[in-house]
Amino acid sequence: MPASGCFGYGEEYAPFFDLSRLGAVVVKGTTAEPCAGNPPPRLAETTGGMLNAIGLQNPGAAAAREKIVALQQWSVPVIVNVSGHSAAQYRAVIEVLDDLSALAAYEINISCPNVKAGGMAFGTDPAVVAALVRELRCATKKPLIIKLSPNVTDVTAIARAAAEGGADALSLINTLLGMAIDIERRRPVLANLTGGLSGPAIKPVALRMVWQVTSAVEIPVIGMGGITNARDAIEFLMAGASAVAIGAANFTNPLVCPETVEGIRSYLAENGFASVREIVGLAKKEWQK
Amino acid sequence: MLKLHTLKIIKQEPVAPGYQRLTLARGIAAQAGQFVQVRASETFDPFLRRPISVHDAAEDRLVLLYRTVGRGTALLAAKKAGETLDLLGPLGSSFPLTDRAQAVVVAGGIGAAPLYYLLRTLKRAGKQVSFFYGARTEAELLLREEYRALATNYSEATDDGSAGSRALVTDLAAPAIASLDATVYACGPSPMLKEVARLADYYGRSCFVSLEAQLACGVGACLGCVVPVRGQEKYRRVCVDGPVFAAGEVFFC
Repeated sequence: MPASGCFGYGEEYAPFFDLSRLGAVVVKGTTAEPCAGNPPPRLAETTGGMLNAIGLQNPGAAAAREKIVALQQWSVPVIVNVSGHSAAQYRAVIEVLDDLSALAAYEINISCPNVKAGGMAFGTDPAVVAALVRELRCATKKPLIIKLSPNVTDVTAIARAAAEGGADALSLINTLLGMAIDIERRRPVLANLTGGLSGPAIKPVALRMVWQVTSAVEIPVIGMGGITNARDAIEFLMAGASAVAIGAANFTNPLVCPETVEGIRSYLAENGFASVREIVGLAKKEWQK
Repeated sequence: MLKLHTLKIIKQEPVAPGYQRLTLARGIAAQAGQFVQVRASETFDPFLRRPISVHDAAEDRLVLLYRTVGRGTALLAAKKAGETLDLLGPLGSSFPLTDRAQAVVVAGGIGAAPLYYLLRTLKRAGKQVSFFYGARTEAELLLREEYRALATNYSEATDDGSAGSRALVTDLAAPAIASLDATVYACGPSPMLKEVARLADYYGRSCFVSLEAQLACGVGACLGCVVPVRGQEKYRRVCVDGPVFAAGEVFFC
Protein backbone atom coordinates (compact mmCIF):
# COMPACT_ATOMS: atom_id res chain seq x y z
CA MET A 1 0.00 0.00 0.00
CA PRO A 2 1.12 3.59 -0.45
CA ALA A 3 2.09 5.45 2.72
CA SER A 4 0.00 8.38 3.89
CA GLY A 5 0.93 11.78 2.52
CA CYS A 6 2.68 10.32 -0.51
CA PHE A 7 -0.39 9.39 -2.53
CA GLY A 8 -2.78 12.31 -2.03
CA TYR A 9 -6.34 11.00 -1.99
CA GLY A 10 -5.51 8.43 -4.67
CA GLU A 11 -6.88 10.47 -7.56
CA GLU A 12 -3.42 11.84 -8.47
CA TYR A 13 -2.10 8.32 -9.17
CA ALA A 14 -5.23 6.81 -10.75
CA PRO A 15 -4.03 7.79 -14.27
CA PHE A 16 -0.98 5.54 -13.87
CA PHE A 17 -2.40 2.18 -12.82
CA ASP A 18 -5.50 0.38 -11.60
CA LEU A 19 -5.71 1.29 -7.92
CA SER A 20 -7.41 -2.01 -7.14
CA ARG A 21 -3.97 -3.63 -7.51
CA LEU A 22 -3.09 -2.10 -4.13
CA GLY A 23 -3.72 -3.76 -0.79
CA ALA A 24 -5.24 -0.49 0.33
CA VAL A 25 -5.04 3.22 -0.42
CA VAL A 26 -3.81 5.17 2.60
CA VAL A 27 -4.94 8.75 2.12
CA LYS A 28 -3.39 11.94 3.37
CA GLY A 29 -3.30 13.06 6.99
CA THR A 30 -6.78 14.47 7.60
CA THR A 31 -7.76 16.90 10.33
CA ALA A 32 -11.25 17.82 11.52
CA GLU A 33 -11.09 21.32 10.00
CA PRO A 34 -9.29 22.34 6.77
CA CYS A 35 -5.60 23.03 7.35
CA ALA A 36 -3.50 25.38 5.14
CA GLY A 37 -0.17 23.81 6.10
CA ASN A 38 3.25 25.39 6.50
CA PRO A 39 4.65 28.27 4.42
CA PRO A 40 7.02 27.30 1.58
CA PRO A 41 9.73 26.19 0.99
CA ARG A 42 8.45 22.85 2.22
CA LEU A 43 10.87 20.50 0.49
CA ALA A 44 14.59 19.82 0.40
CA GLU A 45 16.25 16.98 -1.48
CA THR A 46 18.98 15.28 0.55
CA THR A 47 21.40 12.43 -0.05
CA GLY A 48 19.28 9.32 -0.48
CA GLY A 49 16.02 11.04 0.27
CA MET A 50 14.19 14.25 1.02
CA LEU A 51 12.95 16.46 3.82
CA ASN A 52 9.38 17.67 3.92
CA ALA A 53 7.52 20.10 6.14
CA ILE A 54 4.07 20.17 4.58
CA GLY A 55 2.38 20.81 7.90
CA LEU A 56 -0.64 18.57 7.30
CA GLN A 57 -2.21 20.68 4.56
CA ASN A 58 -5.57 19.00 3.90
CA PRO A 59 -9.15 19.98 3.06
CA GLY A 60 -10.62 18.78 6.37
CA ALA A 61 -12.70 15.72 7.23
CA ALA A 62 -15.90 16.75 5.43
CA ALA A 63 -14.11 17.28 2.09
CA ALA A 64 -11.99 14.15 2.65
CA ARG A 65 -15.24 12.20 3.06
CA GLU A 66 -16.21 13.08 -0.54
CA LYS A 67 -12.80 11.99 -1.81
CA ILE A 68 -13.01 8.67 0.05
CA VAL A 69 -16.47 8.05 -1.45
CA ALA A 70 -14.99 8.78 -4.91
CA LEU A 71 -12.24 6.21 -4.29
CA GLN A 72 -14.91 3.50 -4.03
CA GLN A 73 -14.98 3.24 -7.84
CA TRP A 74 -11.70 1.30 -7.65
CA SER A 75 -13.03 -1.22 -5.08
CA VAL A 76 -9.91 -0.86 -2.97
CA PRO A 77 -9.93 -0.70 0.84
CA VAL A 78 -9.32 2.85 2.04
CA ILE A 79 -7.38 3.71 5.18
CA VAL A 80 -7.57 7.31 6.31
CA ASN A 81 -4.73 8.88 8.24
CA VAL A 82 -6.21 10.87 11.13
CA SER A 83 -4.34 13.84 12.57
CA GLY A 84 -5.04 16.37 15.28
CA HIS A 85 -3.76 18.43 18.15
CA SER A 86 -6.03 16.95 20.83
CA ALA A 87 -7.94 13.75 21.48
CA ALA A 88 -11.16 15.63 20.72
CA GLN A 89 -9.86 16.62 17.29
CA TYR A 90 -8.95 13.03 16.42
CA ARG A 91 -12.41 11.96 17.58
CA ALA A 92 -14.05 14.66 15.48
CA VAL A 93 -12.47 13.22 12.30
CA ILE A 94 -13.71 9.75 13.19
CA GLU A 95 -17.23 11.07 13.81
CA VAL A 96 -17.38 12.57 10.31
CA LEU A 97 -16.14 9.43 8.56
CA ASP A 98 -17.19 6.45 10.66
CA ASP A 99 -20.34 5.43 8.75
CA LEU A 100 -18.45 5.06 5.42
CA SER A 101 -18.39 1.40 4.46
CA ALA A 102 -15.54 2.11 2.01
CA LEU A 103 -13.37 3.08 4.95
CA ALA A 104 -11.50 -0.04 6.08
CA ALA A 105 -9.49 1.38 8.98
CA TYR A 106 -8.04 4.46 10.62
CA GLU A 107 -4.35 5.15 10.80
CA ILE A 108 -3.89 7.40 13.82
CA ASN A 109 -1.02 9.79 13.20
CA ILE A 110 0.66 10.42 16.53
CA SER A 111 3.96 11.10 14.86
CA CYS A 112 3.87 14.05 12.48
CA PRO A 113 7.09 16.00 13.10
CA ASN A 114 5.85 19.13 11.32
CA VAL A 115 3.05 20.45 13.46
CA LYS A 116 3.82 22.56 16.48
CA ALA A 117 1.45 21.02 19.02
CA GLY A 118 0.00 17.54 19.06
CA GLY A 119 1.23 15.20 16.34
CA MET A 120 4.60 13.97 17.47
CA ALA A 121 4.05 15.31 20.97
CA PHE A 122 1.35 12.66 21.25
CA GLY A 123 3.65 9.98 20.02
CA THR A 124 6.55 10.32 22.42
CA ASP A 125 4.93 9.66 25.81
CA PRO A 126 3.69 6.09 26.48
CA ALA A 127 1.02 7.17 28.98
CA VAL A 128 -0.41 9.76 26.58
CA VAL A 129 -0.41 7.23 23.74
CA ALA A 130 -2.25 4.61 25.79
CA ALA A 131 -4.87 7.13 26.93
CA LEU A 132 -5.45 8.46 23.41
CA VAL A 133 -5.82 4.98 21.91
CA ARG A 134 -8.20 3.95 24.71
CA GLU A 135 -10.36 6.99 24.06
CA LEU A 136 -10.44 6.45 20.27
CA ARG A 137 -11.12 2.75 20.84
CA CYS A 138 -14.49 3.78 22.28
CA ALA A 139 -15.22 6.06 19.32
CA THR A 140 -15.20 3.44 16.56
CA LYS A 141 -15.56 -0.25 15.79
CA LYS A 142 -13.24 0.03 12.79
CA PRO A 143 -9.63 -1.13 13.14
CA LEU A 144 -7.22 1.39 14.65
CA ILE A 145 -3.69 1.43 13.29
CA ILE A 146 -1.36 3.61 15.32
CA LYS A 147 1.44 5.25 13.32
CA LEU A 148 4.57 5.55 15.42
CA SER A 149 7.32 8.15 15.40
CA PRO A 150 10.95 7.08 15.12
CA ASN A 151 11.94 10.22 17.02
CA VAL A 152 11.97 8.49 20.41
CA THR A 153 14.58 6.75 22.54
CA ASP A 154 12.69 3.46 22.83
CA VAL A 155 10.07 2.80 20.18
CA THR A 156 9.03 -0.46 21.85
CA ALA A 157 7.72 1.43 24.91
CA ILE A 158 5.38 3.46 22.68
CA ALA A 159 4.40 0.32 20.75
CA ARG A 160 3.48 -1.52 23.95
CA ALA A 161 1.46 1.45 25.19
CA ALA A 162 -0.51 1.58 21.91
CA ALA A 163 -1.15 -2.17 22.07
CA GLU A 164 -2.29 -1.95 25.69
CA GLY A 165 -4.61 0.91 24.76
CA GLY A 166 -6.37 -1.36 22.29
CA ALA A 167 -4.64 -0.73 18.94
CA ASP A 168 -5.36 -3.33 16.26
CA ALA A 169 -2.11 -2.73 14.43
CA LEU A 170 0.87 -0.39 14.26
CA SER A 171 2.50 1.32 11.34
CA LEU A 172 6.09 2.45 11.44
CA ILE A 173 8.05 4.47 10.84
CA ASN A 174 6.98 8.04 10.19
CA THR A 175 9.73 10.43 9.04
CA LEU A 176 12.88 11.21 11.01
CA LEU A 177 13.27 14.79 12.13
CA GLY A 178 16.01 16.58 10.17
CA MET A 179 17.15 19.82 8.59
CA ALA A 180 19.20 21.28 5.71
CA ILE A 181 21.04 24.56 5.20
CA ASP A 182 21.51 26.40 1.90
CA ILE A 183 25.11 27.65 2.11
CA GLU A 184 24.65 30.16 -0.74
CA ARG A 185 21.66 31.79 0.93
CA ARG A 186 23.23 31.06 4.33
CA ARG A 187 19.97 29.99 5.88
CA PRO A 188 17.89 26.87 6.51
CA VAL A 189 16.24 25.51 3.36
CA LEU A 190 12.87 24.83 4.97
CA ALA A 191 10.68 27.70 6.12
CA ASN A 192 9.67 25.45 9.02
CA LEU A 193 13.39 25.02 9.87
CA THR A 194 13.01 21.28 10.45
CA GLY A 195 11.28 18.63 8.39
CA GLY A 196 10.72 14.91 8.15
CA LEU A 197 13.35 12.83 6.38
CA SER A 198 12.11 10.05 4.11
CA GLY A 199 13.53 7.97 1.28
CA PRO A 200 16.14 5.21 1.06
CA ALA A 201 18.36 6.97 3.63
CA ILE A 202 16.01 5.98 6.46
CA LYS A 203 15.48 2.34 5.52
CA PRO A 204 18.00 0.78 7.92
CA VAL A 205 16.51 2.75 10.83
CA ALA A 206 12.98 1.73 9.87
CA LEU A 207 13.94 -1.91 9.45
CA ARG A 208 15.61 -2.00 12.87
CA MET A 209 12.52 -0.48 14.50
CA VAL A 210 10.17 -2.93 12.76
CA TRP A 211 12.35 -5.78 14.02
CA GLN A 212 12.30 -4.41 17.58
CA VAL A 213 8.57 -3.65 17.65
CA THR A 214 7.50 -6.98 16.17
CA SER A 215 9.59 -8.62 18.88
CA ALA A 216 7.86 -6.57 21.59
CA VAL A 217 4.15 -6.72 20.67
CA GLU A 218 1.76 -9.33 19.30
CA ILE A 219 -0.35 -7.05 17.09
CA PRO A 220 0.52 -6.81 13.38
CA VAL A 221 2.89 -4.16 12.06
CA ILE A 222 2.81 -2.34 8.73
CA GLY A 223 6.44 -1.68 7.86
CA MET A 224 7.53 1.43 5.99
CA GLY A 225 10.46 3.78 5.62
CA GLY A 226 12.63 4.05 2.51
CA ILE A 227 11.16 1.16 0.52
CA THR A 228 11.82 1.62 -3.21
CA ASN A 229 11.35 -1.90 -4.61
CA ALA A 230 10.29 -5.49 -3.86
CA ARG A 231 13.66 -6.42 -2.33
CA ASP A 232 13.29 -3.64 0.24
CA ALA A 233 9.70 -4.68 0.95
CA ILE A 234 10.73 -8.31 1.46
CA GLU A 235 13.34 -7.18 3.99
CA PHE A 236 10.56 -5.56 6.04
CA LEU A 237 8.39 -8.67 5.79
CA MET A 238 11.29 -10.87 6.88
CA ALA A 239 11.95 -8.48 9.78
CA GLY A 240 8.42 -9.17 11.00
CA ALA A 241 6.11 -6.72 9.24
CA SER A 242 2.77 -8.24 8.16
CA ALA A 243 2.33 -5.66 5.41
CA VAL A 244 4.39 -2.87 3.88
CA ALA A 245 3.80 0.66 2.68
CA ILE A 246 5.76 2.79 0.23
CA GLY A 247 6.08 6.53 0.68
CA ALA A 248 8.43 8.94 -1.02
CA ALA A 249 9.42 6.47 -3.78
CA ASN A 250 5.99 7.07 -5.36
CA PHE A 251 7.24 10.55 -6.28
CA THR A 252 10.13 9.20 -8.31
CA ASN A 253 8.38 6.12 -9.68
CA PRO A 254 4.58 6.40 -9.82
CA LEU A 255 4.46 2.66 -10.57
CA VAL A 256 6.53 1.61 -7.55
CA CYS A 257 3.53 0.16 -5.65
CA PRO A 258 2.21 -2.20 -8.36
CA GLU A 259 5.79 -3.11 -9.34
CA THR A 260 6.53 -4.02 -5.73
CA VAL A 261 3.37 -6.15 -5.47
CA GLU A 262 4.47 -8.05 -8.59
CA GLY A 263 8.05 -8.32 -7.36
CA ILE A 264 6.98 -9.85 -4.05
CA ARG A 265 4.73 -12.28 -5.92
CA SER A 266 7.60 -13.37 -8.18
CA TYR A 267 9.96 -13.81 -5.23
CA LEU A 268 7.41 -16.00 -3.45
CA ALA A 269 6.82 -18.12 -6.55
CA GLU A 270 10.52 -18.51 -7.39
CA ASN A 271 11.35 -19.54 -3.83
CA GLY A 272 8.48 -21.97 -3.32
CA PHE A 273 6.46 -19.96 -0.80
CA ALA A 274 2.69 -20.48 -0.98
CA SER A 275 1.82 -17.26 0.80
CA VAL A 276 3.44 -14.02 1.89
CA ARG A 277 2.65 -15.12 5.47
CA GLU A 278 5.43 -17.68 5.19
CA ILE A 279 8.09 -14.99 4.97
CA VAL A 280 6.74 -12.70 7.71
CA GLY A 281 9.41 -12.71 10.43
CA LEU A 282 11.45 -15.31 8.56
CA ALA A 283 14.77 -13.56 9.16
CA LYS A 284 14.00 -13.50 12.86
CA LYS A 285 13.36 -17.24 12.93
CA GLU A 286 16.59 -17.90 11.02
CA TRP A 287 18.55 -15.62 13.34
CA GLN A 288 17.19 -17.32 16.45
CA LYS A 289 18.28 -20.77 15.24
CA MET B 1 -3.11 12.76 -20.58
CA LEU B 2 -0.30 12.71 -18.10
CA LYS B 3 1.78 9.64 -18.44
CA LEU B 4 5.13 7.93 -17.97
CA HIS B 5 7.13 7.86 -21.18
CA THR B 6 10.37 6.28 -22.27
CA LEU B 7 11.59 8.47 -25.11
CA LYS B 8 14.56 8.04 -27.38
CA ILE B 9 17.15 10.83 -27.35
CA ILE B 10 17.77 12.16 -30.87
CA LYS B 11 20.19 14.94 -30.05
CA GLN B 12 22.06 16.26 -26.99
CA GLU B 13 23.89 19.51 -27.76
CA PRO B 14 25.64 22.15 -25.69
CA VAL B 15 24.28 25.58 -26.65
CA ALA B 16 26.52 27.57 -24.27
CA PRO B 17 28.85 26.61 -21.41
CA GLY B 18 26.61 24.94 -18.82
CA TYR B 19 23.51 24.87 -21.04
CA GLN B 20 22.22 21.89 -23.01
CA ARG B 21 19.50 21.30 -25.56
CA LEU B 22 18.04 17.81 -25.58
CA THR B 23 15.80 16.60 -28.41
CA LEU B 24 13.56 13.58 -27.90
CA ALA B 25 11.72 11.51 -30.48
CA ARG B 26 8.07 12.19 -29.59
CA GLY B 27 6.03 15.26 -28.67
CA ILE B 28 3.75 13.82 -25.92
CA ALA B 29 1.11 16.47 -26.77
CA ALA B 30 2.73 19.10 -24.53
CA GLN B 31 1.43 22.68 -24.56
CA ALA B 32 3.58 25.81 -24.21
CA GLY B 33 4.29 26.42 -20.51
CA GLN B 34 4.01 22.79 -19.41
CA PHE B 35 6.91 20.79 -18.03
CA VAL B 36 8.14 17.23 -17.66
CA GLN B 37 9.64 15.37 -14.69
CA VAL B 38 12.82 13.73 -15.90
CA ARG B 39 14.45 10.78 -14.18
CA ALA B 40 18.17 11.53 -14.42
CA SER B 41 19.26 8.17 -13.03
CA GLU B 42 17.79 4.67 -13.08
CA THR B 43 18.69 4.39 -9.40
CA PHE B 44 17.22 6.57 -6.64
CA ASP B 45 20.39 8.67 -6.52
CA PRO B 46 19.63 11.54 -6.88
CA PHE B 47 16.32 10.70 -5.25
CA LEU B 48 13.83 12.96 -7.04
CA ARG B 49 12.99 13.60 -10.68
CA ARG B 50 14.11 16.88 -12.22
CA PRO B 51 11.40 19.25 -13.45
CA ILE B 52 12.32 20.72 -16.85
CA SER B 53 10.14 23.01 -18.93
CA VAL B 54 9.16 22.12 -22.46
CA HIS B 55 11.31 24.27 -24.76
CA ASP B 56 9.57 23.12 -27.91
CA ALA B 57 7.28 20.32 -29.01
CA ALA B 58 5.74 18.88 -32.15
CA GLU B 59 4.18 15.53 -32.95
CA ASP B 60 7.59 14.00 -33.60
CA ARG B 61 9.77 15.81 -31.10
CA LEU B 62 10.08 17.16 -27.59
CA VAL B 63 12.87 19.63 -26.90
CA LEU B 64 14.23 20.51 -23.46
CA LEU B 65 16.62 23.41 -22.85
CA TYR B 66 18.25 23.26 -19.43
CA ARG B 67 21.09 24.52 -17.30
CA THR B 68 23.38 22.01 -15.64
CA VAL B 69 23.19 23.10 -12.01
CA GLY B 70 23.91 19.96 -10.02
CA ARG B 71 24.37 16.23 -10.13
CA GLY B 72 20.93 15.43 -11.58
CA THR B 73 21.26 17.74 -14.56
CA ALA B 74 24.91 16.66 -15.01
CA LEU B 75 23.72 13.04 -15.32
CA LEU B 76 21.09 14.19 -17.78
CA ALA B 77 23.72 16.08 -19.81
CA ALA B 78 25.83 12.92 -19.97
CA LYS B 79 23.08 11.01 -21.78
CA LYS B 80 23.78 10.54 -25.47
CA ALA B 81 21.77 10.30 -28.66
CA GLY B 82 20.35 6.79 -29.02
CA GLU B 83 19.83 6.35 -25.28
CA THR B 84 16.37 6.63 -23.74
CA LEU B 85 14.99 8.97 -21.12
CA ASP B 86 12.27 8.19 -18.55
CA LEU B 87 9.98 11.15 -18.16
CA LEU B 88 6.62 12.00 -16.69
CA GLY B 89 4.39 14.47 -18.45
CA PRO B 90 3.17 16.73 -19.83
CA LEU B 91 2.54 18.31 -16.44
CA GLY B 92 0.99 21.53 -15.20
CA SER B 93 -0.83 24.45 -16.73
CA SER B 94 0.02 26.15 -20.04
CA PHE B 95 0.18 29.76 -21.24
CA PRO B 96 -3.34 30.75 -22.32
CA LEU B 97 -3.90 32.69 -25.56
CA THR B 98 -6.20 35.69 -25.29
CA ASP B 99 -8.20 37.74 -27.77
CA ARG B 100 -5.44 40.41 -27.87
CA ALA B 101 -3.62 40.60 -31.21
CA GLN B 102 -0.38 41.61 -29.52
CA ALA B 103 1.83 39.97 -26.92
CA VAL B 104 4.73 41.16 -24.81
CA VAL B 105 6.99 38.31 -23.73
CA VAL B 106 9.69 38.86 -21.10
CA ALA B 107 12.45 36.32 -20.47
CA GLY B 108 15.11 36.29 -17.76
CA GLY B 109 18.03 33.86 -18.06
CA ILE B 110 17.06 30.20 -18.37
CA GLY B 111 13.45 31.39 -17.93
CA ALA B 112 13.61 31.83 -21.69
CA ALA B 113 13.40 28.05 -22.10
CA PRO B 114 9.59 27.58 -22.09
CA LEU B 115 9.03 30.91 -23.88
CA TYR B 116 10.43 29.59 -27.16
CA TYR B 117 7.46 27.26 -27.52
CA LEU B 118 5.19 30.13 -26.46
CA LEU B 119 6.66 32.39 -29.17
CA ARG B 120 6.03 29.67 -31.74
CA THR B 121 2.48 29.20 -30.48
CA LEU B 122 1.81 32.95 -30.57
CA LYS B 123 3.28 33.29 -34.06
CA ARG B 124 1.16 30.42 -35.34
CA ALA B 125 -1.90 32.17 -33.88
CA GLY B 126 -0.96 35.30 -35.87
CA LYS B 127 -0.03 37.48 -32.88
CA GLN B 128 2.41 40.40 -33.04
CA VAL B 129 5.06 39.56 -30.48
CA SER B 130 7.50 41.89 -28.72
CA PHE B 131 10.14 39.75 -27.05
CA PHE B 132 12.46 41.07 -24.35
CA TYR B 133 15.36 38.81 -23.53
CA GLY B 134 17.48 39.48 -20.43
CA ALA B 135 20.53 37.63 -19.09
CA ARG B 136 23.61 38.27 -16.99
CA THR B 137 25.96 38.25 -19.98
CA GLU B 138 25.94 37.71 -23.75
CA ALA B 139 26.98 34.06 -23.28
CA GLU B 140 23.74 33.38 -21.39
CA LEU B 141 21.51 34.77 -24.13
CA LEU B 142 20.89 31.30 -25.52
CA LEU B 143 19.84 30.56 -29.09
CA ARG B 144 19.47 34.28 -29.83
CA GLU B 145 18.91 33.96 -33.56
CA GLU B 146 16.21 31.33 -33.08
CA TYR B 147 14.33 33.55 -30.64
CA ARG B 148 14.83 36.61 -32.84
CA ALA B 149 13.33 34.78 -35.83
CA LEU B 150 10.06 34.17 -33.95
CA ALA B 151 9.51 37.70 -32.65
CA THR B 152 8.05 40.72 -34.42
CA ASN B 153 10.20 42.96 -32.22
CA TYR B 154 13.25 41.63 -30.43
CA SER B 155 15.30 43.35 -27.71
CA GLU B 156 18.13 42.22 -25.46
CA ALA B 157 19.37 43.35 -22.07
CA THR B 158 22.40 42.15 -20.12
CA ASP B 159 23.61 42.98 -16.63
CA ASP B 160 27.12 43.74 -17.91
CA GLY B 161 26.20 45.35 -21.24
CA SER B 162 28.01 42.63 -23.23
CA ALA B 163 24.98 42.46 -25.53
CA GLY B 164 21.94 44.67 -26.05
CA SER B 165 21.20 47.32 -23.45
CA ARG B 166 22.96 47.39 -20.13
CA ALA B 167 19.69 47.45 -18.24
CA LEU B 168 17.15 45.37 -16.42
CA VAL B 169 14.98 43.56 -18.93
CA THR B 170 11.93 44.87 -17.09
CA ASP B 171 13.04 48.48 -17.73
CA LEU B 172 13.43 47.59 -21.39
CA ALA B 173 9.96 46.02 -21.54
CA ALA B 174 8.17 48.71 -19.53
CA PRO B 175 7.39 51.08 -22.46
CA ALA B 176 5.89 48.19 -24.47
CA ILE B 177 3.76 47.05 -21.53
CA ALA B 178 2.67 50.69 -21.10
CA SER B 179 1.81 51.41 -24.72
CA LEU B 180 0.69 48.17 -26.36
CA ASP B 181 -2.77 46.65 -26.00
CA ALA B 182 -1.07 43.33 -25.35
CA THR B 183 -1.18 40.26 -23.18
CA VAL B 184 2.00 39.96 -21.13
CA TYR B 185 3.87 36.69 -20.54
CA ALA B 186 6.99 36.20 -18.43
CA CYS B 187 9.35 33.58 -17.08
CA GLY B 188 12.52 34.25 -15.12
CA PRO B 189 13.79 35.07 -11.64
CA SER B 190 11.20 35.99 -9.04
CA PRO B 191 12.13 39.74 -8.72
CA MET B 192 11.79 40.07 -12.50
CA LEU B 193 8.39 38.39 -12.49
CA LYS B 194 7.23 40.57 -9.65
CA GLU B 195 8.18 43.73 -11.56
CA VAL B 196 6.52 42.50 -14.77
CA ALA B 197 3.40 41.69 -12.75
CA ARG B 198 3.47 45.16 -11.19
CA LEU B 199 3.81 46.88 -14.57
CA ALA B 200 1.08 44.78 -16.16
CA ASP B 201 -1.25 45.47 -13.26
CA TYR B 202 -0.51 49.21 -13.39
CA TYR B 203 -1.26 49.44 -17.11
CA GLY B 204 -4.23 47.05 -16.93
CA ARG B 205 -2.74 44.28 -19.07
CA SER B 206 -3.57 40.65 -18.43
CA CYS B 207 -0.36 38.89 -17.46
CA PHE B 208 0.73 35.28 -17.07
CA VAL B 209 3.89 34.20 -15.28
CA SER B 210 5.59 30.83 -15.05
CA LEU B 211 6.96 29.97 -11.61
CA GLU B 212 9.70 27.66 -10.45
CA ALA B 213 9.67 25.59 -7.25
CA GLN B 214 11.35 22.60 -5.68
CA LEU B 215 9.08 19.71 -6.64
CA ALA B 216 8.79 16.16 -5.43
CA CYS B 217 5.89 14.31 -7.09
CA GLY B 218 4.95 16.73 -9.90
CA VAL B 219 1.39 15.40 -9.96
CA GLY B 220 -0.25 17.28 -7.09
CA ALA B 221 -0.03 14.60 -4.42
CA CYS B 222 2.72 15.72 -2.04
CA LEU B 223 1.79 19.42 -1.61
CA GLY B 224 5.49 20.27 -1.39
CA CYS B 225 5.65 22.93 -4.12
CA VAL B 226 2.94 25.35 -3.02
CA VAL B 227 3.02 29.14 -3.43
CA PRO B 228 0.95 31.64 -1.44
CA VAL B 229 -1.98 32.91 -3.52
CA ARG B 230 -4.59 35.60 -3.27
CA GLY B 231 -8.07 34.21 -2.80
CA GLN B 232 -9.85 31.66 -0.70
CA GLU B 233 -7.15 29.04 -0.75
CA LYS B 234 -4.01 30.11 1.08
CA TYR B 235 -1.65 28.06 -1.09
CA ARG B 236 -1.77 26.52 -4.55
CA ARG B 237 0.48 23.87 -6.09
CA VAL B 238 3.04 24.96 -8.69
CA CYS B 239 3.02 21.49 -10.28
CA VAL B 240 -0.67 21.17 -11.17
CA ASP B 241 -2.29 24.57 -10.53
CA GLY B 242 0.80 26.18 -12.18
CA PRO B 243 3.54 26.54 -13.22
CA VAL B 244 1.70 29.21 -15.26
CA PHE B 245 -0.42 31.47 -13.06
CA ALA B 246 -2.31 34.69 -13.71
CA ALA B 247 0.19 37.20 -12.33
CA GLY B 248 -2.31 38.82 -9.98
CA GLU B 249 -2.94 35.52 -8.29
CA VAL B 250 0.65 35.00 -7.12
CA PHE B 251 2.11 38.52 -6.92
CA PHE B 252 0.20 40.80 -4.60
CA CYS B 253 0.92 43.29 -1.87
